[in-house]
Amino acid sequence: MSILINKNTKVLVQGITGKEGQKAAASMCEYGTQVVAGVRPGKGGEVVEGVPVFNSVAEALDSHPDISTTTIYVPPFAAKSAILEAIENNIPIINTIVERIPIQDTAYCLAAAREKNIRLIGPSSLGYISPGEARVGVVGGPKVLADQVFQPGSIGVISRSGGMTNELSWQIRRAGLGQSSAVHVGGDLLMGTTYADLLKLFEKDEQTKAVVIFGEHGGSYEFEIVDLINKKEFTKPLAVYVGGKFAKILPEGMNIGHAGAIVGRGQSAEEKEQALKSVGVLIAETYEDLVSKIKPHA
Amino acid sequence: MNLYEFEGKNIFKQFGIAVPRSVLLRRDDVVAKYNELGIKEVVVKAQVLSGKRGKNSGILFASSADEAKIAVEKIFTSNIRGQYVAAVLMEEKLDIAQEHYLSITYDTAKRQPVLVYSESGGMDIEDVSDDKIKKVYLDIRKEKIESDIPFANELYQCFLQSDARVVEINPLVKLSSGEFVAADSKIAIDEDAFFRHKDWNFEPRTMLGRLPTERELEVKKIDEGENYYRGTAGKYIEMDGDIAVLFSGGGASIANMDALIKVGLQPANYTEYSGNPPREKVAQLAKIVLSKPGLRGLWIAGGVANFTDIAATFQGIIDALDEVKPTYPIVIRRAGPNEEEGKRLMEECAKRNNLNLKIFGKEIAMGATATALLDMINHQ
Repeated sequence: MSILINKNTKVLVQGITGKEGQKAAASMCEYGTQVVAGVRPGKGGEVVEGVPVFNSVAEALDSHPDISTTTIYVPPFAAKSAILEAIENNIPIINTIVERIPIQDTAYCLAAAREKNIRLIGPSSLGYISPGEARVGVVGGPKVLADQVFQPGSIGVISRSGGMTNELSWQIRRAGLGQSSAVHVGGDLLMGTTYADLLKLFEKDEQTKAVVIFGEHGGSYEFEIVDLINKKEFTKPLAVYVGGKFAKILPEGMNIGHAGAIVGRGQSAEEKEQALKSVGVLIAETYEDLVSKIKPHA
Repeated sequence: MNLYEFEGKNIFKQFGIAVPRSVLLRRDDVVAKYNELGIKEVVVKAQVLSGKRGKNSGILFASSADEAKIAVEKIFTSNIRGQYVAAVLMEEKLDIAQEHYLSITYDTAKRQPVLVYSESGGMDIEDVSDDKIKKVYLDIRKEKIESDIPFANELYQCFLQSDARVVEINPLVKLSSGEFVAADSKIAIDEDAFFRHKDWNFEPRTMLGRLPTERELEVKKIDEGENYYRGTAGKYIEMDGDIAVLFSGGGASIANMDALIKVGLQPANYTEYSGNPPREKVAQLAKIVLSKPGLRGLWIAGGVANFTDIAATFQGIIDALDEVKPTYPIVIRRAGPNEEEGKRLMEECAKRNNLNLKIFGKEIAMGATATALLDMINHQ
């Protein structure tokens, strides 16, 4: 089993004719993902990497009504309309690789997606991989390298960083283990799919015995984990690393005003670690420690 | 990017939020400016990027041109928590009846904007109890909000149309006459929205509140213009330590900064490149990183890359090493596409320049190579 994607998932690529979209389509096909269609307004009828191109998401769905995931490769200024097009057409999972989307556009798309119960992964997400099954996006890189890093196993991987999704998965492999699924959630302030959202999926996934998270400071997403564990909605072993302790050596003034402090009361890095520890989460001092902490539970 | 008070107030005015009458002083004639404002009782305020200036002699009062002159000079020469004083704002002294608080920002838990209002605003807002703070969650798809809270919709318009991450008025002053005036402004804009704000043309600054260094200004140019979408190589924060760093990837850079400090070394900079930038961009970045005087070591580290071409990005670093030929220890840890070719090129570069360089691949974790650098420095 796996989360989010398997061999049978039918995937659409929005922005397939661009350089990045083309690369992603090739990388998915190479790994065995069923990329059934691409979209690029005005280029319907073309073929990219053996994948037919349509003018719109609606046209792609007419020919391939079983598409359940779309992945978006467009420039930041076009991201909002591309995501909204996917939402309007009710595609249940939207992976957004686009980086540097204005936060206002992300918030708008998330509000629209929430209403329809559509899952947005990203923005700034390189995608996710279920070793031996399929991948969305480019996590792992060329297949020959991905196969050195990823093998089916029992560890679920969640990372705020694309590079660290791969690096952390490699450390897991080096320790003689494998991954059930590895997900790059993206590093933006507003996350479409949070740690807690994925932990719920990992909880149901029989293949997953334990989960590791590479986090970065900022945001309140760790507290959702605490709630989830308290409600017994996640019961498997979990190790977390929250990066960015060095920020303490920078002079004050990085935050502006009091709004963040008021909205985020009781959410300092120390308070986060304390809250996680209190519900039994293993706290790693370094990212390498994530693997040594979780190995006994694999 | 955080805006100065005067910049924020200029924006407030565009959205119909009342602000005090004021004049802005650079390092120019205070008496002339005082007379230009034409108000006896004034407040002079340091334009700095961090808060708490009220508690750090950044706000002074004056009742005459002479007093104003003394106050302005005092502000320009005093140290306000190490912040650069970009200007001084001279404003009418308000007849304050009450100090309220109003802001809009994104709540990451709800992933939507939240308006925060309190009738107990002012300097100690962070200590005000929760029951005196009103929070209103906003649907960002709505074009306006209806509320009895003064300036609520005006501030929401400002938040949306200025692509702000935070807009804050503290204090939102209620005058004895009953009118409301924004006595301060805090705005942080979302720089990712630059493409729809051709008007954004703010003076240089850093997130640390000091002026950018020459190196920081140089590095910023790397990602500008047509180069914007070709990977990122324009991040450089100059720091006090003596270990130059060149990290790949945002997450790896954060883990590596933590690891470097953990082994007791101090970074000379924070730098990260990612998204497969071309050789030229990496070369520009590396040359500036290596240009800092007094370096004792160089740490180049990144994870197992997904798609970044290791040989091509190494070529950029090699261009800089060939030019600078550092004599201090260098440690590299990197893996990913084209890693063998990258390693070979780097080893050749080390040989022809006689560099004290060790290169590692994915057989060792990133953090452990910080220890390797420490050992090399200690054994010099």
